[in-house]
Amino acid sequence: MTLRLKWLLIIAPVVLVLALFQSVFWVPTYEAQTTGNPARLEKFIEASIGDAKILNPILNADTASSGIVDKVFEGLLDLDENLNLRGRLATDWTVTETAYLAVNPRAYFPDGSPVTTGELETRIRRAVTDGTLNSLQDNLIDIRLQPAHERTESISLRSEDDTAISVTVDLHVPERVEFRLRKVDQDFFKRLEVIIGDDYASSAPYDSWIEVEPTNKRNLVAPRFAELLPVFEHNPIIRFNLRNGVHFHDGHEFDAGDVKFTYEAIMDPKNLSPRTSDFEPIKSVRIIAPHVVEVIYKRLFSPAINAWSMGILPEHLLNEDAMRQEMDRRGLSETAREAFGMRDSEFNRKPIGFGPFKFVKWQSDEMIHLTRNDDYWEGPPLYKDYFYRIIPDALTQEVEFRTGAIDTYGTLPHQVARYTDDPAYQSYSSLGLGFTYIGYSNRHPILKDKRVRRALGMAVNVDEIIKYVLYGEGERITGPYPKNTQWYDATVLPLPYDPMAAEALLGEAGWRKNADGWLEKDGQLLEFNLITNNGNLVRKAVLTIAQNNWRKIGIKCNTQLFEWAVLLKDFINPGKFDAVVLGWSMGVDPDLYQIWHSSESGPNQLNFVGYNNPVADDLIVRIRREYDVATQRELTHRLHAVIADDQPYSFLFAPRGTRVLDKKIVMVDEEGKLSRLKQTKTGSIFFYFNRWKKLEHAVEL
Amino acid sequence: MWPFIFRNLLQRLVLLVIVSVIAHSVVHLAPGEPSEVDPANPRMKPEDIVKIREAFHLDDPLYLQYAYWMRDLLTGELKSFKDSQPVLPKIWERFLNSLPLFIVATLIIWTLSFPTGIHAAIRRGSAYDRSTTFVAYTLISVPGFFLSYLVILWVVEWLGVPVIGMRTFGMEEAHWAFRGMDRVWHLVMPSLMSALAGIAVLSRYVRSQMLEVIGQDYVRTARAKGLDEDTVVYRHALRNALLPFVTMFGFLLPGLIGGSVIFEQIFAWPGLGRLGYDAILSRDFPVILTINFIAAALTLAGTFISDILYAVVDPRIRLE
Repeated sequence: MTLRLKWLLIIAPVVLVLALFQSVFWVPTYEAQTTGNPARLEKFIEASIGDAKILNPILNADTASSGIVDKVFEGLLDLDENLNLRGRLATDWTVTETAYLAVNPRAYFPDGSPVTTGELETRIRRAVTDGTLNSLQDNLIDIRLQPAHERTESISLRSEDDTAISVTVDLHVPERVEFRLRKVDQDFFKRLEVIIGDDYASSAPYDSWIEVEPTNKRNLVAPRFAELLPVFEHNPIIRFNLRNGVHFHDGHEFDAGDVKFTYEAIMDPKNLSPRTSDFEPIKSVRIIAPHVVEVIYKRLFSPAINAWSMGILPEHLLNEDAMRQEMDRRGLSETAREAFGMRDSEFNRKPIGFGPFKFVKWQSDEMIHLTRNDDYWEGPPLYKDYFYRIIPDALTQEVEFRTGAIDTYGTLPHQVARYTDDPAYQSYSSLGLGFTYIGYSNRHPILKDKRVRRALGMAVNVDEIIKYVLYGEGERITGPYPKNTQWYDATVLPLPYDPMAAEALLGEAGWRKNADGWLEKDGQLLEFNLITNNGNLVRKAVLTIAQNNWRKIGIKCNTQLFEWAVLLKDFINPGKFDAVVLGWSMGVDPDLYQIWHSSESGPNQLNFVGYNNPVADDLIVRIRREYDVATQRELTHRLHAVIADDQPYSFLFAPRGTRVLDKKIVMVDEEGKLSRLKQTKTGSIFFYFNRWKKLEHAVEL
Repeated sequence: MWPFIFRNLLQRLVLLVIVSVIAHSVVHLAPGEPSEVDPANPRMKPEDIVKIREAFHLDDPLYLQYAYWMRDLLTGELKSFKDSQPVLPKIWERFLNSLPLFIVATLIIWTLSFPTGIHAAIRRGSAYDRSTTFVAYTLISVPGFFLSYLVILWVVEWLGVPVIGMRTFGMEEAHWAFRGMDRVWHLVMPSLMSALAGIAVLSRYVRSQMLEVIGQDYVRTARAKGLDEDTVVYRHALRNALLPFVTMFGFLLPGLIGGSVIFEQIFAWPGLGRLGYDAILSRDFPVILTINFIAAALTLAGTFISDILYAVVDPRIRLE
């Protein structure tokens, strides 16, 4: 017995170890991905750091979920390879406008006579026909009189003691002159000033137009009167013609009802959609015909059209009936049923859309599996399966890539050099939509001086940061727009790296070196704190390099790192910081209101540096109200120059991202010709993903 | 013995409540907000955030939040902030993923530590003993994640096979034997790496236990009786040396839920440890608190079981 125990103690571990390690011979290697498994070529496997959260186009807010949702769902529009809007589920669309001019009985015409409905209408009609309003003629379709009517709205706001309250507002809408216009004209009412004068709106009788319930909250609502019942109202209208014969993955046909349903689902407070702000400007969505839908907006807000690139939901699977059936099937309790919204539906974990790929399976933190939609309206993709693998560590991602277990991953800057020259791989580099900056608080007594900010920017060696910190994977930027969009003005030159000139500029601002070599003015040192968040190595390096660069010219900068949550809560949100290293990841639309408009500089708002320039404010508002792309581009270029001149940030760099892929992946065009993968204007290769194919052996192209 | 068990269980129950209260306060008092109400998300309007905060009860007093959590946990209606999925099935699914890793790692630890430890104790001071001591302390001192990276790089460079995750992707249509063995291979690396420190510690422990027992009078007596060395070591000494390890079995239980965050993270293993870690990063309070609660319950259960086991195997101990 003793002997047996002795041998058991030796044999057991040996057997265990052998049993475990023999399995290595069964696993495919990089060279032999297809041996015994030819189906590997039809599968595309992508690695991601994080898992998706919720696979519902109106509820997701993270990149991982969006990536999957974009393949399963489809929007009315999307951006083509040049970042212009392109029809998807909508074949085409037109933008028109209806404008309303409220009859203000307290106003006077420029000639001194009081405004009445009849007189106002007569004068406008006369002006249009006799040529006084020449500029309107081409654009105007017709003029009508809208009778007075009542409307009730319930709005939520913050009361004096900062609690959320809800008030009811009764609006007595007066008679209004309605203008139907061929295209949106943000200066329409300005043109009318020859008739109504330039002070028409200020005397608007809101005391008789608006009633607030409870009445003691009236003063809280007062600042929003002009927004609730504007004297001049622009209603842009987008009419979408929808594609016929498109089917959801379950075979149901898509129509205008799904579009209306998607809009209503976003605005349903029960669903807690993070996209409500994109759709809030919408007044109503009307179904004109089974495949024609009209969206009417409350006010001028041109970025709103981009929101329609969001995926459309299947009404028949998510409407109230469907939800009730799901609750019954899951046997939910009464309390759970009451709170049940779209967020709780199982749909979010097995979505059905009409995109190029159908959803198959999601195993949390492991993978998401999609398969080809053979009925895709634009023709099915060439890959049969798509796997989204979650590998939370960048180093192991690379390791998996080298074994052929994944086809691509987000390569880190220092890894890129290993692949660019290796013939076994192909790589594509593109500039990201984000940028890194040093933001200076406009409230700081020293940093609010534009010359100081400019000098600080000139003293930082950005090229060196790009070369050594980013391994060359970045580009200098000069302003607030992504460099690869048309909104960016390439003629604005970056600040030169010139410590001498920086010192001279500071001298001009009154800063002189003291005995210890520090800059001083009126007995005060040029000293401030520079902070950033912990865990981002690039920002940490920028922090140190900036500190060192500034020190050389006598600026005393103290640096500190904080955990992300602490940084936001204690410093950024209340605006209590001197300078901060941070980054923005931008969208492709030209609206910069939240980040740069002076009204957005309160606590918890995104203009936390407190940038305030009336010229910029005006441009920002004009840009978001402009519907003509060429005019918008002109305005954004001016805004770019204004902000670059003010240097509220030291704009540092936009990081380049490089995608590394197996060389065996190629693109096949309609005629079956093979070529290297194509890049769009922004450098994305995935735009053409549906035409990709993996070959058994690499070919030279 | 029964009164002891009853009293002990009651104490542990009270302790569990206290632990849950403390954990709840600590989690809620830590800085940071659930990522769903992150004010840095430019897409979110303050009104939306207010709505979400309300739905999550984030603005209620802490004791009320605790009550809501307990109520939802006990009725099984607790939902994750992150994806609104019920928490318990979510944890169960991850638990099943972590289980094979835990079983194989435990098997490796317990089968490898005993022979190494016993051998080192018998040849105390020999070159073998000294080298195992050296290796053991090296393994204890070198951080597991660092060693794992080295081993992963080495395996991938020399064998060219994938080691990350629970399986190789794209093999769905391959023969079942290939798929099965592929899963076994993916278990080997993470379980071995997470077992290394365990082997080092446990084999040291076995060695010192054996040394202690071998010095006892009854071992000398056994030798004096003329028994052969194997009988002395494996029958008389080893059996007595095993006693303290009974306790350690009890401590295995909480390891089931704790998982190993680091190894699951490195090897992209979709287990419980990662669920907990991600929940902490996104401040997903229901998930953090529930995992913590189950871990506390299992720890208490584990120590309870080992108390009982100890009394069962060692007649010298009485539970009063």
